[in-house]
Amino acid sequence: MSGNWKLLFGLAFVLVMIGWPLVVHAHGVSIEYTSNVEVEVVARYDTGGPMAGAQVVVYAPDDPGTPWLTGTCDDDGRFIFTPDSSKPGTWDVQVRLAGHGGMIHIPVGEGMVGTGGTGGYSVTQIVLMAVCVIWGIAGTALYFMRKRA
Amino acid sequence: MKKSMVALALVALMVLTILLAGCGSEAVGTLQFKANGEDFVRQGFVSKDGWSINFDHIYVNLADVTAYQTDPPYDPHDAGEIEADVEVELDGSYTVDLAEGGEDAEPILVGQVVDAEVGHYNAISWEMVRATSGPAAGYSLVIMGAAVKGNQTIDFTINIEEEYGYACGEYVGDERKGIVEEGETADVEMTFHFDHVFGDVEAPMDDHINVGAIGFDPFAATAENGRVDIDLAGLQAEIAANDYQTLVETLPTLGHVGEGHCHCY
Repeated sequence: MSGNWKLLFGLAFVLVMIGWPLVVHAHGVSIEYTSNVEVEVVARYDTGGPMAGAQVVVYAPDDPGTPWLTGTCDDDGRFIFTPDSSKPGTWDVQVRLAGHGGMIHIPVGEGMVGTGGTGGYSVTQIVLMAVCVIWGIAGTALYFMRKRA
Repeated sequence: MKKSMVALALVALMVLTILLAGCGSEAVGTLQFKANGEDFVRQGFVSKDGWSINFDHIYVNLADVTAYQTDPPYDPHDAGEIEADVEVELDGSYTVDLAEGGEDAEPILVGQVVDAEVGHYNAISWEMVRATSGPAAGYSLVIMGAAVKGNQTIDFTINIEEEYGYACGEYVGDERKGIVEEGETADVEMTFHFDHVFGDVEAPMDDHINVGAIGFDPFAATAENGRVDIDLAGLQAEIAANDYQTLVETLPTLGHVGEGHCHCY
């Protein structure tokens, strides 16, 4: 269905301020603001033409199976959204139009930790942790049981 | 005596813990691998040079079919190797017929892994290798069908002996694929775009899909008694050099993940 077009996604992170809500107390007043990071996605064909009107689907890292936001690119192939700062990780943005499409992955927030998910600790990790804990217990017990000179 | 008892208890505790850890299984689900020739294959289409093409069979021989959980996500435009946290693979090779079923047939189920670790399989790779037996024996790809233009009908069998490997990122399409949840079934898809070979009359002629396609005329020119039965070596000998070059440059672009592109190696 799709052509052999390579999509070019230009990205601009318009940084308003990074961080969680901050509170400043100053002589009887309380001033609050909430900061956000705005993400601008620009989708173009490899010919340079904008993907005007392309469908956009945004997936948050905590629920990769459910669209977090949908929309369309403007005439310049541009789409702007503000990720939820309480959901750090890799945000995925899919852009499609008439059989042409692509996906871009945007790290957002502290640690830039992706959430592809590998299902917690492996058996090997659990065994190693258990051995380490037991070794610690045994060492402590032997320390207190040692014969004093 | 007291000390040896304590040591014994500690050893017993260690053994018990290890056994319990061993009994604890990771969360798994089922991951299915599907192959899809899309509507072009199931319903037929008109090539860029006006041939109405319908397919009887399109056999692809697939091997080393593997899905991956990658973080950061694999980008095929980087043309690198896939580095994965988790991967699951189908053993062996599989010859599948992409034209199997009716016009509305579902993608072909190639195989499945029933104990796939949960998570998002956002990359896939596979190889198209020469089959050692079956309907595609000796070839990685066999395209069979009929092409009609005006009052001319050509039955064709196009055999491709070249082998290809594809490394792809995440599926791009109507739904998100590859998310395995505990006890549930998800799928990943190997998609094949045959309009890249023949072109599509419904796309603009200056569209890359048509500019890069060979069309059907060069194949038709090799027909004898209304039939084409040829392989890459035969095509190299019989069709124009520029057409052959176009074809060999196009075949590596067959493999996709939905509308997402792959790196061919």
